Formats: sequence, C-alpha cells, structure tokens
Amino acid sequence: MKWTLLVIVAVLALVTSVILGPAAVPLGELLHSDIVWNLRVPRALLAFLVGGSLGVAGASLQALVRNPLADPFLLGLSGGAGLGAVVAIALHLSGPWALPLAAFAGALAALGLVYRLGLIGGTGGALDPRILLLGGVAIGAFAAAITTAIVSLADAAELRNAFLWLWGGLSGASWDSVLLVVLYIPIPLAVLLAASRPLDLLALGEESAGYLGADVEAVKRRVYLAASLLTAAAVAVSGVIGFVGLVVPHLARLTWGHRHRVLLPAAFLGGGALLAFADTLARTAVAPRELPVGVVTALIGVPVFALLLRRWTIA
Amino acid sequence: MGAGDRVVGRTQWCDYPPAALTIPSVGDGMPPNVEAVAARHPDLVVLYNAGPNVTAAQQLERIGIRTVLLDMNRLEDLGPAARTLGRLTGLEQRAESLAAAMDSLRLQPLPPPTASIAFVVWDNPPIIIGHGSYLDQLAAAAGARNVFSDVTAPSAQVSLESIVARNPQWIAVLSDSGTVPAFAKRREWRAVRAVREGHFLLLQGSLFGHPGPRSGEAIRRFRAMLVRNDEGAQHAAHQVLHK
Repeated sequence: MKWTLLVIVAVLALVTSVILGPAAVPLGELLHSDIVWNLRVPRALLAFLVGGSLGVAGASLQALVRNPLADPFLLGLSGGAGLGAVVAIALHLSGPWALPLAAFAGALAALGLVYRLGLIGGTGGALDPRILLLGGVAIGAFAAAITTAIVSLADAAELRNAFLWLWGGLSGASWDSVLLVVLYIPIPLAVLLAASRPLDLLALGEESAGYLGADVEAVKRRVYLAASLLTAAAVAVSGVIGFVGLVVPHLARLTWGHRHRVLLPAAFLGGGALLAFADTLARTAVAPRELPVGVVTALIGVPVFALLLRRWTIA
Repeated sequence: MGAGDRVVGRTQWCDYPPAALTIPSVGDGMPPNVEAVAARHPDLVVLYNAGPNVTAAQQLERIGIRTVLLDMNRLEDLGPAARTLGRLTGLEQRAESLAAAMDSLRLQPLPPPTASIAFVVWDNPPIIIGHGSYLDQLAAAAGARNVFSDVTAPSAQVSLESIVARNPQWIAVLSDSGTVPAFAKRREWRAVRAVREGHFLLLQGSLFGHPGPRSGEAIRRFRAMLVRNDEGAQHAAHQVLHK
C-alpha cells in the first residue's frame, strides 16, 4: 500500500512536469511538441534522477556519520564544486561542458581532501565519521573563501553569475545530461544498495557492527565514496539543490523504518518525486520567470522538517 | 563637457575615451576603496547611485570630500546627470548641450519594430533583460522588439521553454570577444530557433553595457546591425508584423 502510493506519487510528479510548463502546449500536441520532447521530458527525468540520487546519498551519509543533520552537501562538496566552476569562468575555459566538468572536478578534489582528513583522524587507517563531518565543513568553508576571493578580485562580470549557476537549477537539462546521469549513477547506487545490511548494523555502533560480522572499515569507505560520487554528479548537472537530501531520508525513515534495503529505494523514489514536483513549481509559479529550484525545495522542505522535529520532540 | 583635464582618478571600469586610461585607476567602483580615492585629493567624487556606494559617499563626505551620487540606469537619467555635473564643474553651457542631446535620445519617437530579440545575459539558469532595463530601451530605439518586455524587472531568470515559445528572431548577447557564446553548442539551447540558425547579435560590452554619452552611438550601431545582419529576416519580420 505504502509502495503503491509512493509509486503513484512519483509517476504523477513526472507526468505533471511534462504536461505543465510556461509555454502553452495543447494536450493533443504534447507528443509532437519540440518543447515537450527536447526540454520538458529531459528536464523532468533529470530532476527525478538528481532528486533520487540526493535522497539516497543523504540517507546513506546520515547512517554513516550517525548524525540526523547530515546532508549530501555538508561534506564540503558544494564548496569544491563552486570553486571549480568559478575557476573555469575566471580562466575563460570555453566549451559547452566546461562548467559542469570543472564543478565535478572541484567536488572530486574536495571529496579527496575530506576523505584524507577522515583517515588521519581515525587510528590505524580507520575512517572517523566525526572527522569526516568536521573536515567536510572545514574544507567547504575554505573552498568558499577562495571562491569569494576570486570573485571579488577578478573583473569578469560573469563570475557573479557562477553563483546563480551554483545555487541550483535544472535549466541545463538535455538528453545529453540525462544520458550521462543514466550511465553514471547505477554504479554508486548499486554500491550503496549492496551495503544496506552493514549500514543497518552500523546504526548499532561500530563495535557492535564489527561483532555482528560487518567489515566496518570497508563499508564506511565504500559508503562515503559512493554517496559523494553521487552528489558530485548531481552538483555537476544541477548545482547545489538543498533539502532534498536532508528531508527525504527522514520522511522515508518515518514511514519505512530503519532497514536500508527498503529505506534506500524509498528515498530514491521520494527524492525524485519531490525534486520533479518542486521543479514544476519553479518553472510555472511565476512564469515566464523562473524560481531557483533550491528555493522551492527549501520552501517545501523546511516546514515539513519543522513538523518532523515537532513530532520527534513530542514523542 | 571638456572637464577631462580635471579628472584625477577613475575606476578600473572607466575605459573610454582612450585618454581616460592614462589617468590613475583607484580600482573597483562598487564600492570604491575610500582610501585610494582620498589619496588622489579630489574636490569632487562622482559615484554611481547604488547601495554600497551610498556608504562610501558618506565616508568621503566625513573626511571633507564632496560627493555626488548619480542615477545612471536608463536613458532618461542621462540628461539630468549631465546637468548635475555641469553645475558642479561650472561648465553649465557645455553640459546643457550634452544634456539636450541625451534628452533627445529619449524623446524621439520610437521606430516601428522590424525584428524581435531576446537579450540573454547568462545561459544557466537563463537570465534575460526585461522591460525595466537600459538595454530594452536601446533595442526599442533601434527598432527591435524585446520578446520579454512584459517582464517589468531589469533582468530576470526565465525558463528556456519560454524563450523557445516566444521565438525571437535574434539572440542578443554582450560579448567583448565578439565570438558566439558557448551555450550555442548546448543541446537544450538548440531548441531555440534563433540559436539553431546562428542568429546572434554580439554587442560589445563597453559600448552597449552601460548608459552614457555614447548611448546615441550605441543606438545607431544597434540599428545598423539589425539592418545589415539579415535583410531576409527583416523582410520576414515585416510579414509577421503585418499579419
């Protein structure tokens, strides 16, 4: 029943985002319209895939660092991606894919640094989740500082627009980006899904998980890398879209419980549906103008989150 | 106005006329480095009227330097700005003739639009120029219809889909390099007909980017570009307008 409902919501979110848009396309011409076929459909699919990836990445990272506030972007990736994008613009790297590639490279660099810090913190090559969190915040702040320094010193007016790009949006959606994401995300998603059982055990504490037969260190590394690689891809195609990776895992946990084998698929469908729906609102609410989709996810996400917190504190 | 020999400092953005480049730069103008400005010992500091500059003006006034904040956002700001500067420099007569020329840009009747355009200032997310901006005025004076003139803000983020639906004949971009922007090669932008057909108007930023004494020249150059660029497209535009 719960699953049927979630699947219906997900399909509904996808269908509405194809039917609705700022340009009036009559229902009868929906299948033949260039706007629908080349803009709306890839954008809806990209929103769904990115939202789903953020949902799964968030759920896994919250389990890994055992912190309910963990968000895919908390671990320094947004800062790294922003720096990458700004450097690309400042160096006048041209080409249609320069910005996404540079952002992806920046996110990977931040990922590597944070991972390295996490290893230093743990004893004997162990990955310390607390250091991952602290290191992520620190590296993120450092990258953001360099980014701001470049923007205020360089004189390219476009640099200010890099922030617009970074604050998230699915305007860059095309069949090319959908294809890239479709080819890329199954691998990290499969790694995370395969780690569902050890992630369940990890919730009991690292020591208990070890007694119960989980190779704790290997799991932590795999989960961190897979979740971060998912996030890096998301940021490359759509910038930093907040709250999906924070709120959706909590909602899924409230409904489906703590078993990751069901939690992760639920977070994928839920995240996908939320982002597809939020993007439809972003495109249509003030048409022909468009809201940054991160604004919409926050406007929906924060009240939901507040309600959740209320329920928890009352319970 | 003929006060060029009295200028003791400029911002890094002030690059016209070429003689301006020989004057020492005090760096950025929004907000200016107050100490660098004071070090030039000016009697008067002219600032663009915007948030960060208001504070800078107060700081300069506090150390005894006279300041003036000028609105320079639209064509109608140019005449008053010239008169203010004339009064402050004692060159009222010459300022008045400049001001009259600037006022005439705004007062002359608009030509019937012969082409439709969309100004794209950024591609992802797409940011366009709306009715409230100077570029929209330039386009109207040059005989082009901005397809986003219903957007009242100077600039706004829009969805790519609405650019496709409004189907402008030209995509105008500010480009100092004179090359077609990189987004022209992106798959999603090729849904826009003007992008597919390579109908770009490349406007040099230093001439078209901000209002000033050269606005008249900007309008003339804009008009010439529309006429020269594609006689065929112009003909088609006439037919569409007369339908």
